[in-house]
Amino acid sequence: MTLSLRRKQLDVIVRMLHLNQQQLPNGGEGQGEDDAYKILVMDQPCISVLSPVLKLGDLRLHGVTLTLNIDRPRQAVPDAPAVYFVRPTPGNVDRIAADAAAGLYVSFHVNFSTSVPRPLLERLATACAAAPPACAGRVARVADQYIDFVCLEDGLFSLAQPRAYIALNDPAAADADITALIDAVALGLFCVVATLGVVPVIRCARGGPAEMVAAALDARLRDHLLAKPNLFTEAASAAVMSFQRPVLCLFDRNFELSVGVQHDWSYRPLVHDVLGLKQNILKLPAEKYELDDSDKFWVANSWSPFPKVAEEIEAQLAKYKQDVDEVNQRTGGGKVGVEFDGTDLIGNTKHLMNAVNSLPELTERKKMIDKHTNIATSLLEHIKERSLDGYCDCENDMLVNGTVDRNTLLSLLRGKGTKEDKLRLAVTYLLSFETPPSSELEQVEAALRESEVDMCAFQYVKRIKALNTQFAAASGTATKSNIVDWAEKLYGQSISAVTAGVKNLLSDGRQLALTRTVEALMEGKPNPEVDDYLLFDPRAPRSGTGGQFKGPFREAVVFMIGGGNYIEYKSLMELEQHSQPSKHVIYGATEILSGAEFIHQLAELGQKAGLGGGSSNIPPGSAQ
Amino acid sequence: MIPTRPAQASFRDRTNDFRAAVESARRHAAPSSSSAPAAASSSSTGTLDGLIAATSARSEFTNRASKIGLGIHQASQKLSRLAKLAKRTSVFDDPTVEIQELTAVIKKDITALNTAVVDLQALCNSQNESGSLSKDTTNHSTTVVDNLKNRLMSATKEFKEVLTMRTENLKVHENRRQMFSSSAAKDASNPFIRQRPLGARDPSESSVPPAPWASDSASTPLFQRKKTNGDHGASSSSSQPFAHQQQLAVQQDSYIQSRAEALQNVESTIHELSNIFTQLATMVSQQGELAIRIDENMDDTVTNVEGAQGQLLKYLNSISSNRWLMMKIFFVLMVFLMIFIFFVA
Repeated sequence: MTLSLRRKQLDVIVRMLHLNQQQLPNGGEGQGEDDAYKILVMDQPCISVLSPVLKLGDLRLHGVTLTLNIDRPRQAVPDAPAVYFVRPTPGNVDRIAADAAAGLYVSFHVNFSTSVPRPLLERLATACAAAPPACAGRVARVADQYIDFVCLEDGLFSLAQPRAYIALNDPAAADADITALIDAVALGLFCVVATLGVVPVIRCARGGPAEMVAAALDARLRDHLLAKPNLFTEAASAAVMSFQRPVLCLFDRNFELSVGVQHDWSYRPLVHDVLGLKQNILKLPAEKYELDDSDKFWVANSWSPFPKVAEEIEAQLAKYKQDVDEVNQRTGGGKVGVEFDGTDLIGNTKHLMNAVNSLPELTERKKMIDKHTNIATSLLEHIKERSLDGYCDCENDMLVNGTVDRNTLLSLLRGKGTKEDKLRLAVTYLLSFETPPSSELEQVEAALRESEVDMCAFQYVKRIKALNTQFAAASGTATKSNIVDWAEKLYGQSISAVTAGVKNLLSDGRQLALTRTVEALMEGKPNPEVDDYLLFDPRAPRSGTGGQFKGPFREAVVFMIGGGNYIEYKSLMELEQHSQPSKHVIYGATEILSGAEFIHQLAELGQKAGLGGGSSNIPPGSAQ
Repeated sequence: MIPTRPAQASFRDRTNDFRAAVESARRHAAPSSSSAPAAASSSSTGTLDGLIAATSARSEFTNRASKIGLGIHQASQKLSRLAKLAKRTSVFDDPTVEIQELTAVIKKDITALNTAVVDLQALCNSQNESGSLSKDTTNHSTTVVDNLKNRLMSATKEFKEVLTMRTENLKVHENRRQMFSSSAAKDASNPFIRQRPLGARDPSESSVPPAPWASDSASTPLFQRKKTNGDHGASSSSSQPFAHQQQLAVQQDSYIQSRAEALQNVESTIHELSNIFTQLATMVSQQGELAIRIDENMDDTVTNVEGAQGQLLKYLNSISSNRWLMMKIFFVLMVFLMIFIFFVA
């Protein structure tokens, strides 16, 4: 049974909308409260959780009449039950208590997107108790739903925790902040795991935020498993009993920095990077489009390179025109002079009826073709303006072949393209070579300064590399004892992993270090790269190391702390397609960043570390 | 603590924790009063008690809406039974009577539900116009009525499809019967023509029911056809002895029959055209809500509301700062004084 995160999340939400009552298979004979028309009240983060999964029409099907924002003033609807779906924050709790006291709705079903901590629950209870006696009776149910993640597609999710990378790598960050962030990430991952309903085996690299998150998640899972019945026994008894446990691989962004900044030539990463795709919504200057699983063209062509996409659009357009002509011909519309058999009434009416029935489908196809034509046109404009194809080729050369044509590099740096593009190229250049010759480096820096590019990010990456070379000699075998300064150890491993990947050319093109590692982890065979990865198994007894289940795994959940992007998603999808008994991979990150946004975060870190001077006009990195 | 249920549960029910916390909070707040624990215990014994009390106070609107919803649900269940029956028919085992009864019942239900929905809409409009309800309530009621209308419309469409399928099945059966029993079948060729005495008048007059598309549902002409089929089945056996006497009149009869057939075809064509037009009309009106995302409206209204709020705040600041006001008043006074002095002095 393959794990479909989105379907499971949808199931949970639908059940919540039906007031958490048992879903009878034939729609339920005893309707009672289940048939009521309810009001849905949410706060902004939960609205973004719900939007990719359910549309307004679907909500109406489930009996929801109004969707309201908890922060806006609302009026009373005295005869409808209300379903609240909010995050457990004190502000929300106070507002719910105020609504209950004022009696805005007839009954309150309060659902929290993650677990509500005890003090907040007591706060709600005290507020309700202080109000008139009917108030507490109105609150019919309080539940923890554990779905605090945004599931953009079937195999892609995001925890919507912006700026996690900055917070983790900030030299001035307080320990308490980092611990809080790690806890938040662990809670989000717990929600994902709880929705999937299986306890995974956790593997992560040593040192660094990945290990901390893994430890926190392991502790949380163990605590939860102690209570029986718990989420996982119920899930296992319900659906198909799947004996396969997935492996949860945790990675930190520093593991492979180059993927975060490079340019890619496939359709979906291009749209995300150049046009700014957020939460499956694309805002062009003229229009707003939605791109998700229901768009067949998008699903079929998202990983194809851009020229092929343009050809596909043309092919679809030609086919559509053909179909329309056929319909016109049969019903006598369109061209004059086409023979129209006026005597055959029945036949004509039948054709007319078929034509009318096929109208919705034809309009849908036309809309889809128009949408993608507009997207491709604007992409083309941007590409021409910024000569992105040159950047792609150059970066590809550097990362895959390990060679660089100095002239192309310098001409690109001096030529067209936004400042972020040039920075990204320079950072990729830095990351692809262990020791770039210093003359070249100086030329690159000079070219950057000529184009008035802010050097903070560049300097920051340079410093990371410098740290790496310093400690490369010292890091010998990995130690598992107390890791005092995890930053240096981490960088050492990350850069070496990337360069090892570059030198290790595989026959079917370049594979990201991430994909290789995931594949190795899923195979479960001894492999020098992943042998020293830690393993946490929440189901195994805490003491003793016996019975460590190392694989092979059929399913994997890959999580990137600090910002993932569509390029990694694409290479994981390719792994899934090429693997031979079929494997299934789900990819997630704290946020999905485009290359430009990630460069901004790097630059901000460089500024905080006090590197690089010059103009500092860095807008805060916006993330989804 | 957690009730065991076979459904997929991936949430934790904290209601009992909440109730316990409420009770303890009440006890801390008012340890001496005896009414509070009583209220608390009543709320903890059954969450449904409070809700039942609340639901009895539900407005007439909600009660009627839920009754209509229940009615639609039951009607669609009956429809699925009818569909099964209609599919199941074979040439020799035709549960015609059952089907006709069920069809009549369903038709009655749908018309009743239709009137109920129209009434509900009128009630909703009158309530909304009276202006005593909040905007959210009016939105809620309107949406409820729209939803009920959509459900009723889809039930009616399904009903029409079932009947169409039934008619086609009948046609198929008639053709098969024709193949099996060809001798007496000349009279039985067209199942839609009522059995008439020979040499009679133009059969086209009687077989066109008056304006079938003017009525509410599409089932009236089909009803009549089914009735003729039923009658016809009974009378075909009696026509056999008379077969040889009617050879001469057969050709004339067949000509009349073919004309009648053609007219029947015209009628069904016009009928289908009317269906097409209604379908187009509903398609156009339904384009609206289905594909809107939830957060679209939110974003726009948020920015608008915030912009409006900012403007209002600015205006409030401008009119509440006293200094400017004072100066303006002073200035106006001075102007009046000047004019006064000029005119008097």
